[in-house]
Amino acid sequence: MTICISDIGTYLPPWTEAGSRLPGDDEDAVTMAVEAGTAAIGDRDRSAVERVVLVTRGLPLLEGGNGAALLAGLGLSPTVETVERIGGAPAALDALLSASPGTLVIGVDLEPAGAAAALTAETGLQLGAVGRANRSLPVTARSADGLVHSYEDPRLLRERGWLASLRAAVPGGRPGAVVGVAPGQAAKLGSGAPLTPPTLGASAPIFALAELTARSGSESTILAAAEQAALTAATVTAESTVASVTRVEPAARPVPPKRRSPGPDIPVSLAAYDRAFESKVRWEAARCGGCGTLAFPPRYRCRHCGSENSWSRAPLPRRAEVYTATSVHVAVPGMATPYDLVIVQLADADVRVLARTTAAAPGTVSIGDTGRMCLRRVAVRSGVPDYGYAFWPDEVNDHDEKGASR
Amino acid sequence: MRRVAVVGAGMTPFAEHFDLGIKDLLPMAVGECQRSVDKGIDRSEIQAAWFGELTTTDGFPSGILADACGLDDVPVTRVENACATGNDAIRNATFAIASGHVDVALVVGGDKVRESSARSTFWEWAGMTRDMAWDYPLGLVAPANFALHVARYLHESPATREHMAMVAVKNHRHAVANPKAQLRFEITVEQVLRAPMVVDPFGLYDCTPQSDGAAALLLVSEDVVARYTDAPVWVRGVGLGLDRVMHQHKADMTTFPATRKAAKAAFAMAGLTPADVDVAEVHDCFTGVELISYEDLGFVDRFGAYKLVETGATSVGGRIPVNPSGGLKAKGHPPGATGVAQCVELFEQLRGQAATQVDGARVALAHNIGGPTAVSAITILGTERG
Repeated sequence: MTICISDIGTYLPPWTEAGSRLPGDDEDAVTMAVEAGTAAIGDRDRSAVERVVLVTRGLPLLEGGNGAALLAGLGLSPTVETVERIGGAPAALDALLSASPGTLVIGVDLEPAGAAAALTAETGLQLGAVGRANRSLPVTARSADGLVHSYEDPRLLRERGWLASLRAAVPGGRPGAVVGVAPGQAAKLGSGAPLTPPTLGASAPIFALAELTARSGSESTILAAAEQAALTAATVTAESTVASVTRVEPAARPVPPKRRSPGPDIPVSLAAYDRAFESKVRWEAARCGGCGTLAFPPRYRCRHCGSENSWSRAPLPRRAEVYTATSVHVAVPGMATPYDLVIVQLADADVRVLARTTAAAPGTVSIGDTGRMCLRRVAVRSGVPDYGYAFWPDEVNDHDEKGASR
Repeated sequence: MRRVAVVGAGMTPFAEHFDLGIKDLLPMAVGECQRSVDKGIDRSEIQAAWFGELTTTDGFPSGILADACGLDDVPVTRVENACATGNDAIRNATFAIASGHVDVALVVGGDKVRESSARSTFWEWAGMTRDMAWDYPLGLVAPANFALHVARYLHESPATREHMAMVAVKNHRHAVANPKAQLRFEITVEQVLRAPMVVDPFGLYDCTPQSDGAAALLLVSEDVVARYTDAPVWVRGVGLGLDRVMHQHKADMTTFPATRKAAKAAFAMAGLTPADVDVAEVHDCFTGVELISYEDLGFVDRFGAYKLVETGATSVGGRIPVNPSGGLKAKGHPPGATGVAQCVELFEQLRGQAATQVDGARVALAHNIGGPTAVSAITILGTERG
C-alpha cells in the first residue's frame, strides 16, 4: 500500500544547550505538537484532518487529557479521533505507514527537542512499507519511578541493535538513510547522503521526510527509523508531486539564565479550568448575540447591551501588538524568574489580553512590538498542565535587553 | 445628615513586628487612640466598631478586635476592600454616625503581613485578587499589577524613572522625623536608580516595604463632640470608586478611574475642590503610582505630575505637600491599617501636632488605590465643620 503525504510542518524551540535544542519552560509535547501540526495544516480547511496521531515518549498527562488540548490548540473539532502513541522513530514511521488519508501524524521529542507533523492525503510524497524488526535491546531503560538506567555499551547497540535489525528488515541490510541514531553512526549505516534531523525520536523520521522532499530527483530512497533494536523501514518517493513543507525553526539561542524559587505548589481549581478551557485553549472569545460585542474571557452579561446568555463563540486574531510590558525579577515561589508579562492589543479586534512572552529572553519585549499568540503551557498547577496563549515577538534580540530606564 | 468629627487617633509603629501578633498590635493602637482624646473617653462610651483588615491572621477578624480590646458588647464589622480597606472602614463608620444610628464609633485598621515568609506574601495577595483560570497562573504578582500601569505611563508621559526616584527620595526624607515610620533614612536619586530591579520599572527603592501595624480613630457626632475635644477634625467627605477588575479590560492604563470616581464623590460631599487641599496622604505603594495619582486627584493636569516633583511642590514646604508621614513608601504599608494611619497623620497635621508639620494645614486628603487597581477610597478631613 502506498501512503501519500501532502503537507509537512516542523517546529524547533529556540533554546539550545551543548548543541541540542531544549523545550522552553512553557513548552511540552502538546504545545510543540500544536506548533508542528499547525505548520503542517497551514491554510487548509480544518476538515481535511480526520484523525490525529501523536507519537512521543513525553506525554504530559499519562492518565488522559492530552487529546482535548491537542485538538483545541490545532483548532480541530473535539469529535476528531486522537491516538496517543508512546514510541520513538520506528513508531512514528509505523503510524504513517498505516495511516489512511486525512491523518495528521505528529512526532514530538523533548531531548533533543523538536516536533514534526505529516498530513496524509490522496497525492503527495509517497511512502511504502519495506520491513520491520521488533527486537528488544533496552540499553536505556526507564522504570516506573522515572529513573533512567543506561547500559552504556555502544558496540553492543551497533552490532546487536541497529545492524542486526537492518539485516532483518532491509534487503541487503543497507538503506539509503537511517534516523533515530547518533549523526556519526547514521552516516556509516546509510548508503546515501546522510540526513540531518535535529532529533533522535518520534519526530526524526518526519524531519527526514521534510529533508527528502527538498531533494530533487525521482529516485526512491529507503528510510530506516531506529530506536534501540526496534526498526522500521520504508521507501520514500518524490515523483510528480512532493509534500509542501513549512518550518517553524527559529535561530538557536542559549537558554536565558533563570532562577527557580522553591515554594508551595500553586493550587488549581479544576472547576475554573473546565469553565475556561474551550475559550482559553481554542483562542476564542464570546460574541454577544444582541450587539456583537466580543467578551474575552467569556462572561454572563454583556457590558455593552446587557444581554445575558445569548453568546456564540468567535475565533480571536493571532496577531498582536504590545500595549504595556513588565518583567518580574523578584523571586516568586514555584516560578522561574525573571519572566515577562505583557498586555497586547489583538489586531482588528477590540480585545486586549494579558499574557506571558515566549521564545524571547526576559526583558527584551517593549511597547509597540508586534508578534503572534501561540499555545504554551503557562503553568503547571498541582501537577496539571495549564494551557493558554503566550506572545511570541516577531523580532527577537536577546542581546538587546532594554535598559532599566526604557 | 449629622456632621462627623475625629476626636482621637493613634497607631503602632509600622515595622516588621516579628515579636507582636495581631492581638497585640490592635490593643496598642486602640490604647494610643484612647489616650489622645483631649478630654478623655471611657471605652464603654464606644457604641460600635469597624475593623479594616485585608488578610486574616489568627482567625475571625471582628471577634479578634472585640476580644483583644474588650469591646465584646458592641457590634463589630470587618471591612475588606483590598488596599482601600482603611479609608472604606472610615467611610462606613462615618455613615453610621451621620445617619444618627450611633454617636461614638471606633475605626481600626490592622494587618500582620510578616506572618508568612517575605517571598510568599506576593503569592498570597495574588491568590485573593486574581481570576483563578485566566490571570493567576501567569504570575501577575502585586507589583506587576502596578508595573503594567506605570510602564505605559512612562511611555506616554514625559515622566521618567528619575521622577519616580524623586518621589522615593521625598518620602524617605519626610519619614526621618516620624517615630512611627519603618524606613527612617534618607536616600538619593542615584541609590534608587542603582537598586536591584524588583518588577520593571520598579527597583527596590520604588517599592513599599512589607509591614505589620495597626491604627485607630475615634469618630463622634457633632451632637457629642464637645464632650471630647475643643479642637476636632471634621470628616468633610468620603468617596469610594471602582474600576474594571482585569487589567486587559482597562482602556487607558495611564490613569486609575477608581481614584477619579472616589475623588469626585468625596469632593462633592465636602463641597471642596482639589485646589483647596493643603496636605495629602497619597497611596504610594510604588513610586510611579503616586505620580499617576497626582493627576487623578486633580492636583495637576494629565501627564503633568513630573513637574510637581521637579519643582518640589509635593515636598513639605511646597504648594501641596504629599505624604509628610513618609507615605506607604517609607512609613510602611500594613494594608488594612494604611488608610486609617493616613488619617491619623492628617488628624495630627490639622491640629498642628505632626512630626513633619505642614504649616497652616486646614484641608487634608487621604487616598488609597488597591486590589488589581480596581478600588479607591478617599477621605477628606478639615478644621472647618463645613
